[in-house]
Amino acid sequence: MNNIIETHNLSKIYNPDTVPVNAVNGVDLHIEEGEFTALVGPSGSGKTTLLNLIGGLDYPTTGDVKIDGVDITKMSENKLIDFRLHNIGFVFQAYNLIPVLTAAENIEFVMMMLKKTKQERDLRVRELLAEVGLTDKSKNRPTELSGGQQQRVAVARALASKPRFILADEPTANLDSKSTANLLDIMAKLNIEDKMTFIFSTHDQRVIDKARRIVTLVDGKIVSDTKQ
Amino acid sequence: MLFKVAWRNIWRNKMRSIVVISSVAVGLFAGMFLMAFFWGLAKQEVDIAVETQLSHIQIHNPAFPDDKGVNDTIQNSAVLAEQLKKDSAIKAVSARIVTTGMISSSTTAAGVEIHGIIPAEETTISSISSDITEGSYFSGKPNEIVIGKKLVEKLGVKLHSKIVLTFQSKSGDLTAGSFRIAGIFRSRNSGFDEITVFTNSNEMGQLLGTGSAVHEIAIMLKDGKKADTIKAFYKKEYPGLLVQTWSELSPEMAMLNGLFDQIMYIIIGIILLALMFGIINTMLMAVLERQREFGMLMAIGMNKPRVFIMVVLESFMLTCIGIPAGILLTLLSVHLLSKHGIDLSAFSQALSSFGFSNIIYPELQTSMFLPISLMTAFTAILSGIYPAIKALQFKPAEAIHKI
Repeated sequence: MNNIIETHNLSKIYNPDTVPVNAVNGVDLHIEEGEFTALVGPSGSGKTTLLNLIGGLDYPTTGDVKIDGVDITKMSENKLIDFRLHNIGFVFQAYNLIPVLTAAENIEFVMMMLKKTKQERDLRVRELLAEVGLTDKSKNRPTELSGGQQQRVAVARALASKPRFILADEPTANLDSKSTANLLDIMAKLNIEDKMTFIFSTHDQRVIDKARRIVTLVDGKIVSDTKQ
Repeated sequence: MLFKVAWRNIWRNKMRSIVVISSVAVGLFAGMFLMAFFWGLAKQEVDIAVETQLSHIQIHNPAFPDDKGVNDTIQNSAVLAEQLKKDSAIKAVSARIVTTGMISSSTTAAGVEIHGIIPAEETTISSISSDITEGSYFSGKPNEIVIGKKLVEKLGVKLHSKIVLTFQSKSGDLTAGSFRIAGIFRSRNSGFDEITVFTNSNEMGQLLGTGSAVHEIAIMLKDGKKADTIKAFYKKEYPGLLVQTWSELSPEMAMLNGLFDQIMYIIIGIILLALMFGIINTMLMAVLERQREFGMLMAIGMNKPRVFIMVVLESFMLTCIGIPAGILLTLLSVHLLSKHGIDLSAFSQALSSFGFSNIIYPELQTSMFLPISLMTAFTAILSGIYPAIKALQFKPAEAIHKI
């Protein structure tokens, strides 16, 4: 299998001039295509920071992040935005959908930015809504959806651009058991059937149980990396 | 989609948006109504001056305006007046003898400008006949004079009182004539009322020794806006005569009109500046409240130009709703007030002394809608720039986690 993500000696130090905090400390991590990986660890262990660095949402203090061999830490902010649009899907803990758009429009929005035709967009929106089981909720705005439904729309939106991988930061933290199970089933199915690579940060044992690789972080360092 | 998102975003906080839209509408209304008021005021001032004193065009002997000499009459004035009357663009013509002199009552005297007129002709050109408040406008009796209310008060005379006019005749001698007050007028310009008297031109011609010659031919046009064109035509037609429009005869009034325009644009500018800070404040609040959303948008790939355009669009849209509302409000109020006018009788003395009417009829110039709307729209775009720059400064990784 190819390495889709590679980090080398990746570090992120917050407040370097006042009270330095080593959020990520010399992380070397390789993620292969099609993996279903959970980043686990206690609060403050650096899970979210590591996801942000891998996703190009933040720049590291030292080290590099290569996506398909391309070092994204050398990219300008504008290039990174474009890179994220084409290559990375994001799922956030608080769903973070655009509140003024419907479920379908939220998914379509990403494709609009990719300048896809109306026909392509409509087709893909229908496919994705069907995939996350929300065909009947296409015209509902986020406030008219449950937390679980919103997170499924967020997954569909993350998939809209056909990204290389999806980063999910505590995706089930705000969900009840049923919604969590439902969401995990969808993501697992996408991973198995479509070979979509997922990397989660999580505290949730149910997510950890589903993950096929578990990377444990403590104080910004990888203390264990196991496959199950 | 960007339009759709921006449009829906402005309705997320309806009350706040309505406040901004209202402030744009009210600000625009205030500026435009003020313009309409001052335009009405200025136009009425010009109308008053044209109707009572200046008319649209005047023709003189080129030497006359300098010292108003008795001998500076217009050659063949009667023929000229007849020719002018045949012009279809001309509504009325009045030939006048104009000279300065002293008016004396039994108690006091004052300097005046004496207009020797043909009463019937003057009626077609000036509003003096309709401004008569006491007595009548030339009954046909000999040696009648019509004078202003203000002058009556100054001289301490009343209707039918006898007064004496003293002036220099054609030969250079001082001549006097006795007149009886036939009518007292009160125009909307008290300054004019204080220094102008009207007598019959035949009698004045005899006293001055000028016969049927006149000093001034006043022309009233069917369309006052064509004054410059018609003046240019007659200037070419009669190169030996001085042909002037009202704005040349009273340059201070023309200048005042131009000044009104400039002052109005300055006032509009100040209103828009105040409006700009209001919009910036609102948009800034809206942007800061949505920090997490902007973080998410940038995270999922919305580039900076798109974020910038979205914020500026929101500001622009808010204003664009306010603009028609402001114009509508102005149209309605001006339409209503242009019929009934704004009664400023409380300030009648001050207004009259400057030649302004007591009742102001606001008047809109439709040509002002476009520049003012464009200025407002431009203000909206400017107002959106700072909040948009602020939005671009958010770091996605931090902004996403903002509550």
